[in-house]
Amino acid sequence: MPETTFLDANELVINMGPQHPSTHGVLRVILKLDGEKVLGTECVIGYLHRGVEKIGENRTYQMFAPYVDRMDYVAAVSNGLGYCLAVEKLLNVEAPPRAQAVRVILTELNRITSHLLWLGTHALDIGAITPVFYCFREREEALKIFENYCGARLTTHAFRIGGLQYELYDGFEQEVRAFCDMFLPKVDEYEELLTHNRIWVQRLKGVGILTGEECKEYGVTGPVLRAAGVKWDLRKAQPYSGYEQYEFDIPTGQNADTYDRYLVRMQEMRQSIRIIRQAVEKIPTGPIMGKVGKVVKPPTGEAYVSIEAPKGELGYFVVSDNSTQPYRVRVRPPSFINLQALDRMVRGALVADVVAIIGTLDIVLGEVDR
Amino acid sequence: MADEPKPEGAPAPADAGGQAPQPPAAKPAAKPAAGAAPAGHAPPKPPPPMASTPWESDLAKEIRERFGDAVLECSSYLGQNFLVARPEALIPILEFLKLEADYDYLVDLTAVDYPKKPERFEVTYILYSFARNDRVRVKTTLADGVQAATATTVYAAANWLEREVFDMFGIQFDGHPDMRRILLPEEWEGYPLRKEYSIVQQDDRWVKENLGIESGQ
Amino acid sequence: MGKFLRTVFLVDLLQGLWVTFRNQRPKYIYTEQYPAERPKVAERYRGAPRLNINPDNGETLCIACNLCALACPENLIVVGSERNEQTRRKELTYFTYDISRCMFCGLCEDACPVDALELTQDFELASYTREGAIWDRQMLEEGPRPTQYRC
Repeated sequence: MPETTFLDANELVINMGPQHPSTHGVLRVILKLDGEKVLGTECVIGYLHRGVEKIGENRTYQMFAPYVDRMDYVAAVSNGLGYCLAVEKLLNVEAPPRAQAVRVILTELNRITSHLLWLGTHALDIGAITPVFYCFREREEALKIFENYCGARLTTHAFRIGGLQYELYDGFEQEVRAFCDMFLPKVDEYEELLTHNRIWVQRLKGVGILTGEECKEYGVTGPVLRAAGVKWDLRKAQPYSGYEQYEFDIPTGQNADTYDRYLVRMQEMRQSIRIIRQAVEKIPTGPIMGKVGKVVKPPTGEAYVSIEAPKGELGYFVVSDNSTQPYRVRVRPPSFINLQALDRMVRGALVADVVAIIGTLDIVLGEVDR
Repeated sequence: MADEPKPEGAPAPADAGGQAPQPPAAKPAAKPAAGAAPAGHAPPKPPPPMASTPWESDLAKEIRERFGDAVLECSSYLGQNFLVARPEALIPILEFLKLEADYDYLVDLTAVDYPKKPERFEVTYILYSFARNDRVRVKTTLADGVQAATATTVYAAANWLEREVFDMFGIQFDGHPDMRRILLPEEWEGYPLRKEYSIVQQDDRWVKENLGIESGQ
Repeated sequence: MGKFLRTVFLVDLLQGLWVTFRNQRPKYIYTEQYPAERPKVAERYRGAPRLNINPDNGETLCIACNLCALACPENLIVVGSERNEQTRRKELTYFTYDISRCMFCGLCEDACPVDALELTQDFELASYTREGAIWDRQMLEEGPRPTQYRC
């Protein structure tokens, strides 16, 4: 926040949130305005702080796994994958190929559900009411697959350290294939509704520009970085969980604005379907659990493992002191770091654009506050 | 309602049977699973140090040559490279890594608390280079109450991350533009991620004044 | 003229209604008649916990090994046992499960070596009191009994 403007008649300080519907949770943004123009912002966060990292230090490795689902609760599977990979790295084991393939399918499905939730709420913020119903309708189908597979829809706790707990159920492949067939035309349907919609284009084009250099400077990753033309995706750059076997493209934008981020995310959903289709065709047979004992006790050391979550780079920095509990678990939350660039993006924009920019960053406050 | 799975905090159910309440660590002692190290629970011997290997590369050599004694260690563990530097040399090293070695993306900045060591905090900077597709961790150790130099002059991303480290550990960053708590309320007392801060502890005074209840527990 | 007739015979309206009508197929209906009709949840759904009993003799399957209590991240399971001097085996005396703190992660069910503790498909867990959310052994064996509505 720049210096106080208490008596300055031209400038107005208003409060957006924490109960504002378009801040996607309990984010409070203090806006300093000159008329309609935003001069500066200050984010007040922490309303949802639960001390997840402290909890991690006081739980055994397996016990902490359900908690990570509750950070980014719309992409719980990705969170679980990141944590499991980090601990597996410390243990120096790898999940068996069958487990890896299933992990890829579920995380990509989760990317789709996360992007669908983003699309629906983002459109709702902009003023288009219709897409949210369509998005939730399709999201429901993916959540049903999660429910059938592991028994929970949102906070799934689908993966365990070393592999999977649950074997695939009968008809998993068919259901996933049916979802892919059903879903691809639906993406076209959303695009039909929005991509050339005049209001949509006018509200998004040229809004919230964050160039590639600025993204790197602020550490912004995920679709925001790719919309700025930087072709960087951890699934390609540093493949994990067998992503190197699958063919897919990294969609990028050129204009680094909100509209390009929308296009990038729509393309990402199509690419996710592509990955799922390849993965489901060749799920290897074999065990689903790696050589991990009942007690997880990694040797002393530390490891940082990150994955490409729907929001950006999600990293886990785990320090072990050769006991059953992590000495320190640090989560590198993409939402938190992307939100930091909000101030840079909204300067000079209009108040109505702030809503669009918060929406386009795709933050989840559970992850920002942890 | 202390729900710590620590040995001393574990609930002691009425055990008339032979199984004494055991800490979770000793749980699989009854059934040692294949591949797991036998959980010896008798002598609490200090854990072995991290089995890191020296980090041999051109970059490590260059850093060693350029910064000399300020670089205490260049190592690699599980294929992940890290270097330990003296606090005063940290910002020059970060600047070197960013400007000359292309490590242009600060992935994360965090700290680890080792209360038994004389310099209890280990501040870790995780850097990534898009050009090299490589990560490196830069670490430094700090005693309690010592100010670290801010990295916001090098990486803009360090702003909130340093605030979070201050919030959780109480490490002040000298030169930071806005050194305030970020996740906890500003009047909160105590730094939750320090090891002496119990998991059920909270700032009772703050809770009472602001929420009007005796305790959140 | 054509436009006039279209307006008179409400062609646009009928076209619109036809779209609406087409989507009335029962297959497309997503509304659930919840209290009257309970939704069918997945087979692996993690809901209300149950302590299974042996259907042959009505005895509990639980061997009071305490593994579920140790596996629980929230430490909400308390298992009480006592040694039977005749059979030299541990027998379950009490079992409490605090559902208000449960996050249905399923770790207790994974830990159970005899499939005694199980998270079932029951999802109606509301209670009027906080104490009502702490389930004892009897409650865990019988399962929740939500009110059945009819319409």
